[in-house]
Amino acid sequence: MKNLQLLAFANSSDAFGFSKSEVACAAEDTPLTIVTRIAPHVDRTYLRVALDGEFVTWNTPVADARELAFLPPVSGG
Amino acid sequence: MIIEIQFTADPIQVAAVALPSREIGAVIEFHGIVREMEGTELLEGLFYEAYESMARKVLETHLIELGELHGCAAVCFIHRTGWVPVGEASLYIRVASSHRAEALRFLGDTIDRLKLDVPIWKHNKPQS
Repeated sequence: MKNLQLLAFANSSDAFGFSKSEVACAAEDTPLTIVTRIAPHVDRTYLRVALDGEFVTWNTPVADARELAFLPPVSGG
Repeated sequence: MIIEIQFTADPIQVAAVALPSREIGAVIEFHGIVREMEGTELLEGLFYEAYESMARKVLETHLIELGELHGCAAVCFIHRTGWVPVGEASLYIRVASSHRAEALRFLGDTIDRLKLDVPIWKHNKPQS
């Protein structure tokens, strides 16, 4: 087990109830298994996920990543 | 291609143009300004949030690709974070190339890519 930092940006922080948190997880955990465990109520359909700043799928193992980010549709500019 | 990316919580300050070579024939600047009306809402400004470390990586990948595609020589990209009042710039892009057509295409594509997947968000703060 290891600790993974969680980042929830923009309106996803309201859904998760935090903008920054930490979770204990295994290397074979995925963003999907983590969210199912810690926040099953969150609507994932509008979110993308990133591990250490790289877009990944919901089924990508976290492996040795240190940071998992939840990203709503972007709106910069 | 020379790429400069900045995020700043302060009003955007632009350095004087330093041409990267004597082959530069076009320098185009874009200022994205926060407008007062967002749909039917009257705003005092917008709040910008960025996942800065990732935004830099994603943006740099896009800029390298667009630089090769359009043959531009240099780009300076600055994005505000935090509160940006109406009338101030939230975004500044300056691109230099040999000819205007390449720079204009680069600029348009950069803004399209910014709105595609660069992790920056704005929040409306309607005037109460």
